[in-house]
Amino acid sequence: MAETIHHIPLWYLPLLVILPIAALWAGVTGLRKTARKKTAADRDPDWSVPPLADQSQSGSFLHKWDVRCKIVTIVVFSFVVASLGHLAAALAAVALSLSVAVMIKVPAARLMLRLLALAGFLGMLLVVMPFTVPVHPGDTLVVFGGVEWLTLNFRGLLLASTIAARAVAIAMLMEPLLSTAPLPVTLHGLCRLGVPEMAAQMVLLSNRYVHVFSHEARRMSAGMQVRGFRKRTDTATLRTVANFLGMLFVRSFERTERVFDAMRARGYQDRFPEPVNLRLCASDLLICLAWLAAAAALVVWDRIIL
Amino acid sequence: MHISDGVLPVSVSLGGYAVSVALAAWSARRTTSVQLPKVAVVTSAFFVASLVHIPLGPTSAHLLLPGLAGALLGPVAFIAIGLGLLLQCLLFQFGGLTALGANALMMGLPAIACGWLFQALKGNTHLRHAVAGAAAGATGTAMAAVFLAGFLAAGGEDFFGVAKIAMAAHVPVIVIEGAISAFTIGFLFRVKPELLETGLVTPKKEIHG
Repeated sequence: MAETIHHIPLWYLPLLVILPIAALWAGVTGLRKTARKKTAADRDPDWSVPPLADQSQSGSFLHKWDVRCKIVTIVVFSFVVASLGHLAAALAAVALSLSVAVMIKVPAARLMLRLLALAGFLGMLLVVMPFTVPVHPGDTLVVFGGVEWLTLNFRGLLLASTIAARAVAIAMLMEPLLSTAPLPVTLHGLCRLGVPEMAAQMVLLSNRYVHVFSHEARRMSAGMQVRGFRKRTDTATLRTVANFLGMLFVRSFERTERVFDAMRARGYQDRFPEPVNLRLCASDLLICLAWLAAAAALVVWDRIIL
Repeated sequence: MHISDGVLPVSVSLGGYAVSVALAAWSARRTTSVQLPKVAVVTSAFFVASLVHIPLGPTSAHLLLPGLAGALLGPVAFIAIGLGLLLQCLLFQFGGLTALGANALMMGLPAIACGWLFQALKGNTHLRHAVAGAAAGATGTAMAAVFLAGFLAAGGEDFFGVAKIAMAAHVPVIVIEGAISAFTIGFLFRVKPELLETGLVTPKKEIHG
């Protein structure tokens, strides 16, 4: 079976390719700004408080679900989604993830921020892949005005959309996975699943100090701006930013020493106290089974029926 | 740039996880376990540093810093980078859950290599430190770009075009990263040279209690 080739004039190129890209780019930038504004407004301005433990909507089944079941189920489901091969199956996974996110009432702005973080990489795939995938028999091609190297291949577009759908489906599960329990509880669940306790402690500590250091960095850059520093494309900017980084490292390394000394002075011995007592009950396993059954159904649909 | 979910074949992402866990365990063995909390706090500093954007003509690029992390932390940098990526996953969702192992390899292996490179090249003068810093910074980013292209190409020949473009996009970042690393190392050499001697996280030895 030979490939189908459609010839269309070159002036369609801006209409069909460049215009959508520009619209997408403008939309993403605009949405990112509004989403950032919204999340910044309802958040505590003190960044030293980690924002992950969202207690405002505690009551859904995901909040009550045993944290170990939740982690195992969502991780397994993510890998299943990553293995889906057809666009329809991947879109079904997106619908499933979206319904979970809606069910536990994730704030739309936070969900949007997570998806927008993906936009750069996925946008690159969506733009590049239709023009670069090798031509296979049976492909549908669009040639713009006889320019041979500028050939749009629909198989590439389909492939890139499938990847984008898989990425979106997994990204939308991050909020249900992480914001339905305080981070220490999630990490405790991970430890009970066999992750070394030290790893969990390191995540907890660095999550805490990311906020402290970003506060520090913001103060330093405010000071630089007050003194008239503006970022440009030149070596002076590079040198200044490097000094800024160096200062950030010096300050934070010194702080690290003090934090560590303080922890040891309070009797830290490789352990934090356990945040909760976990107990497994039948309903936890039932939700787990139902979700994994949905995953299995997706795989069957993807591999056998489609 | 990090690989997002859904791009890699499942076998590659699971393999990436396996190799990363092994390397992280090796990296953790290079220091006393009491010092690991320190690594965690230092990681947050690197994480914040990597959010800094450098203007580049009409756009801007954010720093990757595998070279600098390797130079300052040594072999422990692998843990720091894995932790940093996990944080990114928690806070922003760049480079998702399933691609975490591959992303850790992509940034962590260059960091370890650059740590060795930096230790081998740095002499006693300010200039030699800066040159070693530049070499570490540029090599780290270049290696990360090669790993990125390799992982993408693992998806089959459909991804070769994307891999080439992703590599090309890293070229300006390599130059910026080299310059920034050189200046930062130069700054630290003048301000706090002991950081460059042993690094913050000392290898196994007794701590005064």
